[in-house]
Amino acid sequence: MSDESALVVQDDGPVRHLIFNRPEKLNALDLDQHARIKRAVETAATEPGVRVLALSGNGRAFCAGDDLRAEAPAGDDPLAGRRVELEVGAGPVLLLEAAAALRACPKPTVALMHGHALGSGYDYSLSCDFRVATADVNYGDPRIHRALWAAEGWAYKLPRLVNQAVVAPIAYLGETMDGATALELGLLHEVYPPGADVRVEAAPFLRDLACLDAAAYAETKALILAGGDTAFEQALGVF
Amino acid sequence: MQVRKQDAITTVSFGGGLFDYAATEALREAVREADADEGVRLLVLDCDSAGDAWPDMGDWPERLRHRRSAGAHGPGPLPEQDAIKALRAFMKPTLALLRGKTLGLALDFACVCDLRLASADAEIGDPRIRQGRAAATGIAYLLPKLIGQAHAMRVLLLGEALDAAEAKRIGLVHEVAPAGGFDERAGALAAEIAALPTRAWAVHKLQVLPQLDLPFDAAMTHSLGVRQTHVIEDRAEGMRAWRERRAPEFTGR
Repeated sequence: MSDESALVVQDDGPVRHLIFNRPEKLNALDLDQHARIKRAVETAATEPGVRVLALSGNGRAFCAGDDLRAEAPAGDDPLAGRRVELEVGAGPVLLLEAAAALRACPKPTVALMHGHALGSGYDYSLSCDFRVATADVNYGDPRIHRALWAAEGWAYKLPRLVNQAVVAPIAYLGETMDGATALELGLLHEVYPPGADVRVEAAPFLRDLACLDAAAYAETKALILAGGDTAFEQALGVF
Repeated sequence: MQVRKQDAITTVSFGGGLFDYAATEALREAVREADADEGVRLLVLDCDSAGDAWPDMGDWPERLRHRRSAGAHGPGPLPEQDAIKALRAFMKPTLALLRGKTLGLALDFACVCDLRLASADAEIGDPRIRQGRAAATGIAYLLPKLIGQAHAMRVLLLGEALDAAEAKRIGLVHEVAPAGGFDERAGALAAEIAALPTRAWAVHKLQVLPQLDLPFDAAMTHSLGVRQTHVIEDRAEGMRAWRERRAPEFTGR
């Protein structure tokens, strides 16, 4: 399992960076890391000095997805892993709760992606308000190619972020995207040159976000997120 | 309408004709059979049809007469809805091929599929509004979610036929293949899908479709419920192939 060094928490003025730091594993996520991310997000949400939350990865990738080696003990019996999860109840719940905590964070949240940004890493990015990436990013959800579970909330988030039509190539066919394709689909907000340092490139955008009025941002974000589940008349009734 | 099964793929071809009630019921039955047949891993709809034979659809066949409510405003869309609902409830992969004319009711059937591949010379649209008709087949629900409200309004309210390139631009189709090589591309894509872990596809789909209508918290609970109550046998092969650094061979179970 990963240790505490796997997630670096670093402040750049009002911007809180959560940096995946298992470069030798391309920042693959295990259960400890999901728990760590959840705690870090919840902390950032309550600290007054933090005005923007940015996720990124050290090394060659943002995040290659789930750490399949950590899953290996489940063995070849397809029911074995399920039994363990049913007993412990921790696996899917942790992944899902961490991604849900990120979505619920009232502050601006941004995924800064380069290299591989796949599977659970991609799922976290869908919980952010904005996604930016280098043009040569390898972005998407290839979990279908390993017949893996994917239950962290993408099925709710992706059709609402873009539309239902994009679900098929991304989730069912498992096609990954480069920056230009993801920008065209509306999944990315900005695309940077291939190989660029995504934290450096995104700094001006993160500073702009930090200058926004925090209360207005939080309220607007809450209305947008609730709006996806609300009838028009109900949505108007909030005011 | 023609139904054929080859290897793990069932293909329903609309054959260029117009839909009548018998054809919509035949489609529904074909979907049910493909669902019940464990050997089927993919359903392909070859959607070459200009839609329903609407001037001739005033009279229901005698066998459907009992379903017509007293004092109805003409025949309802029940047989069409039955076919749409069967497709919507079908969790194995579905691929729609749009060639020739894919209009009206044929577009409804294409839109309830997971993937849409169009031939470059296809005519795609919903002319029913220009015939003074309102489509009650669920398309008014399906299309805004599928491609966004702005594009859906245009397709349904203007009733124009789009060419394949424009349909691709607005996301109505996922891919356009040259008319000359269309059958080849369709065959290759179908084979690619049928070789995927199609049980995992079904479980993915089982999350997406209900969650379109669920609030976030309920959707998360739903995801966990689906995860804990469905087994993907191919998952073991996926892991094994990953460890052995080879291409997986999936069964679809």
